[in-house]
Amino acid sequence: MAVSGIPLLDDKYPVTMDMWPVEDEQFNRIYQFYDNLKEGKFTTTKCKSCGYVSWPPRVLCPECYAEELEWTELPKRGKVLTFSEEVRGVPLGFESPLIHAWIDLGQKSPIKKFLSRIINCPAGKLKEGDEVQFVVFDIPAHPKEVKRETVMSERVFFAFEPVEK
Amino acid sequence: MAQRNACLIAGGMSKWGVRSASLVDVSQEAAKACLDDIPGFSHKDIDGFLYATSFAGRCSFQTNPAPVMAERMGLRPTSICARVDVLCAGGSAGILLAKGLIESGMADIVMVAGGEKLYTPQKWEVFYSELASIDHDWDAPNGLGLPPPFFALVATEHMKQYGTTKEQLAKVSVVNYNFGADNPKAQFQKKLTMEEALEAPSVVTPLTLYDCCPITDGAAAVIVTYEEKAKELSDRPLVYIRGGSQVSLHSVSANWPGEHLADWAHLKVAAQKAYEKAKVGPDDIDVAETHDCFTISEVVEVEELGFCKKGEGGPFVEAGNTDIGGKVPINTDGGLLSCGHPFGATGLRQGIEMMKQLQGRATHQVEGAATALQHNLSGLNVEHTIVIYGREPVK
Ligand SMILES: [Zn+2]
Repeated sequence: MAVSGIPLLDDKYPVTMDMWPVEDEQFNRIYQFYDNLKEGKFTTTKCKSCGYVSWPPRVLCPECYAEELEWTELPKRGKVLTFSEEVRGVPLGFESPLIHAWIDLGQKSPIKKFLSRIINCPAGKLKEGDEVQFVVFDIPAHPKEVKRETVMSERVFFAFEPVEK
Repeated sequence: MAQRNACLIAGGMSKWGVRSASLVDVSQEAAKACLDDIPGFSHKDIDGFLYATSFAGRCSFQTNPAPVMAERMGLRPTSICARVDVLCAGGSAGILLAKGLIESGMADIVMVAGGEKLYTPQKWEVFYSELASIDHDWDAPNGLGLPPPFFALVATEHMKQYGTTKEQLAKVSVVNYNFGADNPKAQFQKKLTMEEALEAPSVVTPLTLYDCCPITDGAAAVIVTYEEKAKELSDRPLVYIRGGSQVSLHSVSANWPGEHLADWAHLKVAAQKAYEKAKVGPDDIDVAETHDCFTISEVVEVEELGFCKKGEGGPFVEAGNTDIGGKVPINTDGGLLSCGHPFGATGLRQGIEMMKQLQGRATHQVEGAATALQHNLSGLNVEHTIVIYGREPVK
């Protein structure tokens, strides 16, 4: 893994250039979200004191400042309200088409509207009103130091995809 | 100490565009242009320095840039020397902070400068670094909030909700480009016709080339001081920083504050607060700078700022209300679309144009302008910042 122009960074992992989160439990307190994600679950934190469900997950209730939170599941299906499709000039990190959608998760969901990327969908196919579903996918693992060893930390992330492909 | 009123007394910019110059280079050019704007004043009398930048840490590998810039500009600040980073609103945040510093007596003469060097040896890097400016753990992995796709969503929603047309968006770019054509510091000096705007290649539907501001290197700087000192240093009409606001209610994909993506409730809150602080209303604004990062932004902004009713931004622009002779001439120096957008410097460019308008020395002068407003959207629509200026202080 050569870093062009900077030979001293060969084989190094620069977290400052990583577009993905560091999900490993050694580096954050909400790693349960990623563990849940690996089981296909779409979760976030709910306050045990006032019941407020916040997105994204956190360690402090933004409403009552209680720190006792629990994990709760969010709906995995929604309807596309509005979307945009970037076909040409998609930036590094994404494949064409880069589709972003404003999704309705329904009146029963504590988080009613959700902005997400839509994957597994060719350009020109998505329509307003289409049903989409939560999808989990692998992202690159990164190395981390454990004592004198280097081990790989496996990662996943999520988006939505059309129900009818 | 008697009540102090902060005034914007001078300002200048480097040339903006694709520059064969570093961040420290363009920043020195801006400092020079700023000092040239106030003959007889020495930079050695500046006791406070704020430097607005967002990408210095990524595209120039320079965190903590304020002391570096101060040294390179020959400044010796003794009251404050700090960086301001609010992405696209760093400059306007700096002006608001300078007002507080001056009026509290914490500082006497503050330079607010800002700049970005975004063209790096390989072009991918600035676009990749934009992923660092949205909510990293939640939005960057999916590119949520990246500028063209996000504003394409806003445009699609606005068209759906209010019947806004592509012609109305094109009108924003035509007006702003034609103002910028006479601005030698702007990235583009190009007259634009409706035909050219409408026939331009697609970026992200419905946005086409002239709907989008470019990537820009550049810097700007202004001087803020108190009324009595301003009179001592300059013979020009005084421009008071009457008031302002900076509002943050959500973070990109989390907790969008409006009913839909074309409903910018956070900007409405910012406008109410700024008008209240400045003791004026939208009908008092003679000239404005709005954050036209995309044409659709200006359409939504004229609505939320109260220049027209919600949903009528398209017809408002189409009728010529943002041109000279219209209800509120907007972006008379070219705006982001024509001047370009070196994030931390943009709010300062806007402040300079508002100052010149109120001093009667703008290139596209609005006759008798007495009250002016500048607005920035920043951080992929997670904050709105407003500064209101007047020929008279708030009483
Ligand atoms: Zn709570």
